[in-house]
Amino acid sequence: MSQIPQAVPWCLGAGLLPALLGLVRQWRLARDRATALAWLEAAVRARDEEAHRLATVRLPALMHSAVAHPAPIDPLLAGTGFEQSLRQVADQFGSAVERAELRADQNAKAALKGAMRALQGLANEQQVAISEMQERHDHPAVLRDLLEIDHTNSQFGRRAQAIAVLCGSWPGRQRSASSLSDVVRGAKSRVRDYKRIEIRTQVELAVTSRAVEPVVLAVAELLDNAARHSQPNTLVEVNLQPAHHGACIVIDDAGVGMDPREVELAGQLLGGQRSVDVTRLGDPPQFGFAVIGVLAARYGFSVSVDTRSPYGGVRAVLFLPTELLTQITPEPEPEARITTDGTLDPAPLPEPSPEQARAPRHRATPHHHSDPHQPDGPHRADVHQQAGVQGQAGVQEPAARTVGPRTAGGLPKRRRREPLPESALGQETAADPAGRSPGDLVRDAEATAQRLGAFARGTRAGRAPEPDTHS
Amino acid sequence: MSPRREQGLVRPYVVTNGRSEPSRNTFDLVTLVSGVPDRPLQGLTPEQRRLVALVSRGSLSLAEVAAHLRLPVSVTKVLLGDLVDSGHVLTRAAIPRAQLPASQLLQEVLDGLRARL
Repeated sequence: MSQIPQAVPWCLGAGLLPALLGLVRQWRLARDRATALAWLEAAVRARDEEAHRLATVRLPALMHSAVAHPAPIDPLLAGTGFEQSLRQVADQFGSAVERAELRADQNAKAALKGAMRALQGLANEQQVAISEMQERHDHPAVLRDLLEIDHTNSQFGRRAQAIAVLCGSWPGRQRSASSLSDVVRGAKSRVRDYKRIEIRTQVELAVTSRAVEPVVLAVAELLDNAARHSQPNTLVEVNLQPAHHGACIVIDDAGVGMDPREVELAGQLLGGQRSVDVTRLGDPPQFGFAVIGVLAARYGFSVSVDTRSPYGGVRAVLFLPTELLTQITPEPEPEARITTDGTLDPAPLPEPSPEQARAPRHRATPHHHSDPHQPDGPHRADVHQQAGVQGQAGVQEPAARTVGPRTAGGLPKRRRREPLPESALGQETAADPAGRSPGDLVRDAEATAQRLGAFARGTRAGRAPEPDTHS
Repeated sequence: MSPRREQGLVRPYVVTNGRSEPSRNTFDLVTLVSGVPDRPLQGLTPEQRRLVALVSRGSLSLAEVAAHLRLPVSVTKVLLGDLVDSGHVLTRAAIPRAQLPASQLLQEVLDGLRARL
């Protein structure tokens, strides 16, 4: 019987061990469950939070800027299907917003463009009408009023033009190549406070015809900014500087300047890095830099406003590369039939008759054109000699009057004249004996001209003592 | 003054700097404008330089000057007034046309001569 009590602990022990083991397992299981539950709870909470954040923060942010920021995601959700779904929602929302904005922008631009085109056309029409009125009316008071209307109309046209350009239209009028100072003065014409704008320097450079209007528009916007953001009693100074790779138009104002944030924004707009959205130009809309940015990107010039002017305001620099520049050869002033009446010139020489002036040039020039490679023949030398003789003979009268305007190389330049009547030509050629070389023909024509001139001079000299009959 | 000079780019109020009254009111279409040689061109606007160059070799009437500058006559008058004030150009009224003897008188003289010879 004594074995029974001995066996009891053993039995108990044997029974307890599995129980203990089971207990431990249960405990472990329970702990794991609790952990899993906590994790799940946290995950659910994270999902809730993430969904909430998506609805309240991320999507509204996407609505305001179409650029999707990769949102920092809860580490619990990283790599889960939930996260992917969220991302898809955000992406689709973003692209939908982008599409809607693009469409809205396009629609707005198309509508504005159409409207502005019409306004531009009207402004141009009105400008033509005003120009005609300026020609027609001579009275200073009328002129003053017309100048005011003209000025307002120019500003009006510029506004319409700027908006149209921003909406993807072309700047409009095609102009011929114009000197840089004319371009700046053209820009000055379109600004409200044009009297405060002072152009200091002049350079002998011109802007190619296709770039004239865009550069005028861009400079006008810069000048307008400069004048608008400075005191009415200050000057806006414009300097033109030739540079190695082009030329610069430097505009200095004495205004309030721009803070770094504005400079950065302006830089983005001017560099064309930001796409311009007409629906987001602010109220009142600020077109200036956006328009300049569009034009600069399209035509290949560049504008920077990130320096301070010596007067504390903004220095805007518009750089024109060499491709947009050209040279305008200073064309000689037309002689314009100078009316040297006997009263003005103390000893007037008889004016060469039109035939005399016409004949040699008319005969010589076609030859010059038809045979440019021929070396200076005797007839060419004759032209020069004749010119020299005439110039010396007519000391009191300008040499250019007898030989006409000259090119840079000193060659006589042809002026527009009415052609010789056919009969005269025919007579001259008929008078020439056949079988002559072209060189002889030319020299002969000159001889003919000299004879004609001598004849004209002779008849004039004969009539000179009777001044009454002259008129 | 190139023939293809762009029109309408620089507006007249910029050319005259907003003024519409010439500094003197003695100009008319046939006023003769003549240049004064060797005056410094500093401080002149491009239009004024062109005007001075235009009349540097002789005289032109105001109407011709305006046509060459492609500016309205009234605007040219403003420019001209300034240039006269600064001594760059001289103006004078057009020379009145000489009074020709009446044809009747000439006829009588002729008849008289014929009668005597």
